[in-house]
Amino acid sequence: MSTMSASAVAHRGLYRAVQLRRNKGIGGLTIVVLLFLAAYAVLFPGLLTFEGFAKFSQTWLPLALTAMAQAMLMLAGGISLSVGATVSLGAVVAATTMGTPLGVAGGLGAVVLVGLVVGAITGAITVRLRLPAIIVTLAGSFIIGGVALLILPRPGGSVPTTVSDLLAGTSPVAFGLLLATIALWKLYAATPLGLGLYAAGENPVGAYRSGVAVDTVLIAAYAISGALTALAGFFVAAQTGSGDPVIGSAFTLNSIAAAVLGGVGFGGGQGTMRGAFLGSLLLTVMINVMFFLGLPPVAQYIAQGLIIVGAVALPEIAKRRAHRAGRVQS
Amino acid sequence: MTRVSYFAAGVACMALLAGTAGAQAAAKCITGAHKAPYTLGWANIYSVPTWMKQTTDTISQEVDALKQQGLVSKLMITDAQGNANTQIQQIQSMIDAKVDAILIDAGSATALNRVIADACAKGIAVINFDSLVDTDDLTAKVNTDQGEWGKEAAEWMVNQLGGKGKIIVMNGPAGISVSDDRRKGAEPVLKAHPDIKILAETNTEYNVAPAQEAMTNLLFNNPEIDGVLSLGGALSAGAILAMDKQGRALVPTTGENYRQFLELWKKKGLKGWATMQPNWLGALAAYTAVEALQGKDVPAYVKVPLPIIDDNNLATYIARTKDFPTDGYIYSPYDQAMFAKLLTQK
Repeated sequence: MSTMSASAVAHRGLYRAVQLRRNKGIGGLTIVVLLFLAAYAVLFPGLLTFEGFAKFSQTWLPLALTAMAQAMLMLAGGISLSVGATVSLGAVVAATTMGTPLGVAGGLGAVVLVGLVVGAITGAITVRLRLPAIIVTLAGSFIIGGVALLILPRPGGSVPTTVSDLLAGTSPVAFGLLLATIALWKLYAATPLGLGLYAAGENPVGAYRSGVAVDTVLIAAYAISGALTALAGFFVAAQTGSGDPVIGSAFTLNSIAAAVLGGVGFGGGQGTMRGAFLGSLLLTVMINVMFFLGLPPVAQYIAQGLIIVGAVALPEIAKRRAHRAGRVQS
Repeated sequence: MTRVSYFAAGVACMALLAGTAGAQAAAKCITGAHKAPYTLGWANIYSVPTWMKQTTDTISQEVDALKQQGLVSKLMITDAQGNANTQIQQIQSMIDAKVDAILIDAGSATALNRVIADACAKGIAVINFDSLVDTDDLTAKVNTDQGEWGKEAAEWMVNQLGGKGKIIVMNGPAGISVSDDRRKGAEPVLKAHPDIKILAETNTEYNVAPAQEAMTNLLFNNPEIDGVLSLGGALSAGAILAMDKQGRALVPTTGENYRQFLELWKKKGLKGWATMQPNWLGALAAYTAVEALQGKDVPAYVKVPLPIIDDNNLATYIARTKDFPTDGYIYSPYDQAMFAKLLTQK
C-alpha cells in the first residue's frame, strides 16, 4: 500500500511538473492574448454582453477546431494541407444532407463519417506507405476539394434555420461546444492512443520499442483530426446557412499559423494543444481589434505580420533572458 | 432615477424610434435612428487586385464629396484577404460598431446571407455591388448585367463580319460565374448566325500573359481568323500582342476597358468594341446607401447600363489615360447627377 501511494505522489508530482513546464512555454502568448482581449473589450464593450460574446465565440469556433485538428497531427509529427478542403467538404455535406429525409442528426452523422473516413484514408496512406504527410495531404486537398465541387458545383444547399439559430444565434452555444471539445481532448489524451500521440511524434522508434502501437496511434489521429475538421465545416454551414464548395480554403494556412503561434513545432512532439487553442484565439481577436482601431487595410496586413512575429518571438526572447539569468546565478 | 421615470424614458424612446422608423420606412432594412452625418463600412473581399484598388478609390472619393455635403462622417474599410469567413467576421464587427450602412462586394454567393440578414434586422442599410449574394434581405443590389455584356459583344462582332466569318472566343476561367454569364449571353446571338464559325474557345485567367500564350498556340493552327470575341479586357490585350508578334493582320476585337487594350486598339488602329464593369459601382453603392438613409426610396436592384466604348468615343478614353494606373481600367466618367438618375429607375 505504502509503495503505491508513494508512487502516486511521485506521479502527481511529475504530472504537475510536466504541466508547469508546458504552461511556461505559452506564458508569453497567454499574456499577449489577454492584452488583446482586454483591448477588444475596451474598444467594443458589447463583447461583454451575452450576444456579443456569443457572436465572438461563433467567429472563433471554426478556427479553434481546425487549429486543434492541425495541432493533433503536428504533435504526432504529421501535418495536413487538406484542412481547408475538408472544411469545405464538411460544409457541403452538411448543406446537402440536412434538408433531406436524413434530417439534422443524419446530416451530422454524415459529416462526422465523411471526416473520419477522409482522415483515416489519408492517415493510412501516409503511415502505411511511409510517405511524407505534406505530399499526401496536398494531393488529398485537390481530391477532397474536387469532391466538394462535385457535390455542390455552385454555392447553395441549405441548413435548417433551427440549427443555424441554435449554433450561431444569440446565445453562446458555440462556446459550450468549444468547452466540450476541450473536455473530449483531455479524455482522449488520457487514453493510450492519446498518450501515444506525443511519444510517436517526439521519438517514433523509442515509442515503438516501448510498446506504443505507433501506426494505430497515427492513423487514429488522422481520422479524429479529419472528423474535427469536417465538424468545423458543419459549423461554418450552420453559421452561413448554406454550403459553399470553397469556403474553407483559408483554414489550411490559418490552422497551421494558429498551431505554430501556440508553440507547436513542425518536428513533432513539441508544443501543447492549449497553445494551439490560444493561437487560434489570437488570430481571431486580432482581426477585430484592428477593425476597432480603425487601421486601414494596408496597415492591417503589416500589423498582422508584426503581431504574429511578435507573439512567436517575445516568449522566445523572454526564455533566453531567463536562461541567461539562470546561468549567471548558478 | 425612479422606476417611473425609467418607464417614462423608455416610452419616450420607443415613441422616438417609432417616429423615425415611420419617416424612413421607404427603403428596406433601415430602421431606428439614423442621423446625418452617417458612418459607412466598406467590406471589401480582397484589396490587392488593381480593379479593387480603383473601386475603393471611387468609394473614398464619393465619401469625400458626401462628407463635404455633411452627409457622411466616417468610412471604415476592411479587407477580408479573399476569405469569406473573415468577411463575415468583419461585417459582424461593423454591426457591432453600429455603422449606418455597409457596402459589400461578396466573397461568396451564399456564405454572407445570415450576417447580412443580421445587419438588416439591426436596421443597417446594406448595399451589395459587383459580386452579388443570393439573398434579398438587404437594402439594394447594384450591378451591370453580365449576360447583356456577352450579347452586345457578340452582336457587334456579327455586324462587323456581316454575319459570316471565323472567330475565336476568349473566356475567363471556367466555373467563374462572371465568365459563364457573359458566355451564356453571347450564345443565342452566335446560334442565330450559323455562318459565324467558332474556330476555338479559350479559358484563361483574366490576365495578359496566359491569354497571349493561348492565342499564340491557336494562331499556328488557324491561318484564317476574322474576329476575336474576347469577353474580358486583359484577354484582348493578350490576343492583340500575340497576333502582332506573329505579323498577323489585326481583326475586329472586342474587350473590356483595360488600359493596355484601349492603347493597343488606338495605336494599331484596329476595329474594336469594349464595355466595362465600372469601378464607380462602388461610388454608386455609397451614394445609394446615403440616399436610402435619408429616407428616400431606392430600387431593390439598381441595374447599371453597360457603358460602351467604340471607334467613335475611343479618343475620349485615351485622352484620360494619365489619370489611371498602367494595369488599370479606364472607366466612364460619372457624377452624382448620373447616380440620382440611375436611382429613379424602377
